[in-house]
Amino acid sequence: MTTTSTDASTVPDASEIPRRKPSRRGQYSSWLYLVPALAVFAVFMFFPLARSFVLSFQGNDILGRPAGFVGAEHYLKLLQDSEFHAVLLRTIAFVVLTVVPVIAISLMLSLLLHQRIRGIRFFRTAFASPFAFSVATASVIFAVMFNQATGVLNGILGTFGIGRVGWITDPHIALISIALTTVWMQMGYNLLVLSAGLGSVPDDIIEAARLDGAGGLRLQRSIIIPLLTPQIFFLLVTGTINSLQSFGQIHILTRGGPQGSTTTLVYSIYEQAFAYGNSNFGYASAQAIVLLIVVVVITALQFGLVERKVFYQ
Amino acid sequence: MIRRRTVMASMAGMAVTAPLVAGCSGGGGGSEAKAPDSGALDKADGETTVAFWHSMDGTNGDTLEKLVKAFNEKNSGKITIKPVYQGEYDDGITKYKAAVQSGSTPALVQIYDLGLQFMIDSGTVVPMQSFIDRDSYDVSDIQPNIAGYYTVADKLWSMPFNTSMPVLYYNKKLFEKAGLDPDKAPETLDEVGEAAKALSKKNDGPAEFGFNGAIYGWFVEQIIATTGELYCTPDNGRGKERASAFAFDNDAAVEFLTWWKKLVDDGIAGNTGRAPADAQDAFKSGTIGITLESTGALGGMKEAADEQDFELGVGFYPRIEKNEYGPVIGGASLYVVGEKHSDAEKEAAWKFVQFCNEPANQATWHTGTGYFPVSKKALDEPEDTKWRKDFPQFDVAIQQLDETELSTPTQGGTAGIMPQARKAVEEAWEGILQGDDPKEGLTKAVKGLQSALDQYNDSAG
Repeated sequence: MTTTSTDASTVPDASEIPRRKPSRRGQYSSWLYLVPALAVFAVFMFFPLARSFVLSFQGNDILGRPAGFVGAEHYLKLLQDSEFHAVLLRTIAFVVLTVVPVIAISLMLSLLLHQRIRGIRFFRTAFASPFAFSVATASVIFAVMFNQATGVLNGILGTFGIGRVGWITDPHIALISIALTTVWMQMGYNLLVLSAGLGSVPDDIIEAARLDGAGGLRLQRSIIIPLLTPQIFFLLVTGTINSLQSFGQIHILTRGGPQGSTTTLVYSIYEQAFAYGNSNFGYASAQAIVLLIVVVVITALQFGLVERKVFYQ
Repeated sequence: MIRRRTVMASMAGMAVTAPLVAGCSGGGGGSEAKAPDSGALDKADGETTVAFWHSMDGTNGDTLEKLVKAFNEKNSGKITIKPVYQGEYDDGITKYKAAVQSGSTPALVQIYDLGLQFMIDSGTVVPMQSFIDRDSYDVSDIQPNIAGYYTVADKLWSMPFNTSMPVLYYNKKLFEKAGLDPDKAPETLDEVGEAAKALSKKNDGPAEFGFNGAIYGWFVEQIIATTGELYCTPDNGRGKERASAFAFDNDAAVEFLTWWKKLVDDGIAGNTGRAPADAQDAFKSGTIGITLESTGALGGMKEAADEQDFELGVGFYPRIEKNEYGPVIGGASLYVVGEKHSDAEKEAAWKFVQFCNEPANQATWHTGTGYFPVSKKALDEPEDTKWRKDFPQFDVAIQQLDETELSTPTQGGTAGIMPQARKAVEEAWEGILQGDDPKEGLTKAVKGLQSALDQYNDSAG
């Protein structure tokens, strides 16, 4: 991971470096090597993307067949639809509610688990274990715990004399509950990545910092965490995209309810295209294009604003 | 890292857009199909294979496979039915739509109750009625209330296959502890409310909650039917015209949801949300006094009751007033697909449908799955009488079905966008539990559906 990568095309005048100029034959063969990858990309990415784009300008009949071009109608509808605006805001809220806590908690845990204490290996494995759970398994387990009438969470609250919480039935709380489930699911992976990062922090730097009198929190804040920023940045970017695409836990826990309070962008696309007998592929495709734009913009922002603070060795 | 960015972005794009290109273009609907000449199978060379898409998994799927196997053995060398599980009901209909587009439909398909109007409008099915009329097939053995659901404009469009009804389940042990008569199920909403009050912990009763049921749009459809009101107009979509407006903001629905909300607000009823499984789990834990559920859940409920050591009581679905109409059936039915299938295939599919309807096979189906038998005679089969001795609770369900008087309201509503209507009811219901006025909430839902319904009706032509 380097910040500035230089390749041949960015060099002002390539002819000045004759050694780099590929031979005609080499050019052809390099394209040949790219064919398999390009073919896969074309079939599974570029074609569907182009197709979605076209679909987003078309209407659909009751069987879901494209039925004539409707211009930008779907996009105008999206602009005016207050429910869709709520979906967008909710999606962003969900990303913040998942990505920030996941990174914060797993960073703290990884620092704690990096201590040399007897039996720490057990805890390292235990905390990383959510990684091994499938979305479906984790969601079903959380559904049982969230059950308003018989769930263990309300049971525990009850022993403290606190009333029942509608974890996934109260529209004000449901999104937080889904976020909680997601945080738990993603923590294992985050912890593994950060632990690996911690393991590769060179001992000599730590040693030098210690000699300079840094210890404890100071050492962690000024030396270790800056050295972990590449991993943190990586988790931020992948975690955001992951979170934008969350589907399984929403589908199993709430189906986008109650009252649409957990319908994020991806779930809304699914509902329009496939759920409840719908086959509004045009409208769903328009939403998918919006999702693509959201992903690209957020990712670009992260690279533009955050990556500068990343410390690459 | 820079390269990674574009990969990530396009991967995100791929992940969200790839499923949306499920289908491209394909053949058109066309006019209503008719049953082929009855000799089509004899004329066919060799074996006729019929693909059969269904949504039955677990025990239900096993029982289905058993029926298919028996049929294939009986017709060995002539017909092979190839059942394919296509996921849940919603997945089934989605896949069917895609198959119509790509011209790869099965000749026989199981579609859920809510898909009726859509299947009619799809222009791809051969109405069951045209086979019945052609063969003068004796329909007197088919339970009329079950067939009623799949009848539009006096024509039976599909053969009922798996049928259930909602009933009231109660925990007899908790009834006894609360000083209630365990042998008498509450019959009206008021009676359920009273019993729930006595049962609930809030009022020093033995149950965590006196009542708890899923926020399930089906229940609202039921209560509307019991009072003789309509779910959609005109005529519940049962006449010559398609339903052009929803009417579920009527008095019955308002009273039902007002009643439900009060129980929740008073702390007598729980609220486990929309998922029927969550409400079932709560009742199965033995801490809920009364719940509403489908007859299809009976097997699981009985098992859980034995495990938790309580006796399971079953009663009629509660009415607003005593002696009102019965509720509506739910479930799924079988459609013979006309488009792009040979006459021999259609004929073979019809043969299988008739086979399923035979009393002995319906007894196998009924006892293996807990769904109602379509055939009335199935109940006299020894296999069936023996099974009902183990599940006396099921007799309540049979009685409820028999006592239902077939009418436009008890046929149930059907409209092009039924699945969306049910969801809209559920969302309104959630809003009502959060403090919305029941009448206003339901009216808002009715209005919210109008443009989608108009669009559907325009599109269906």
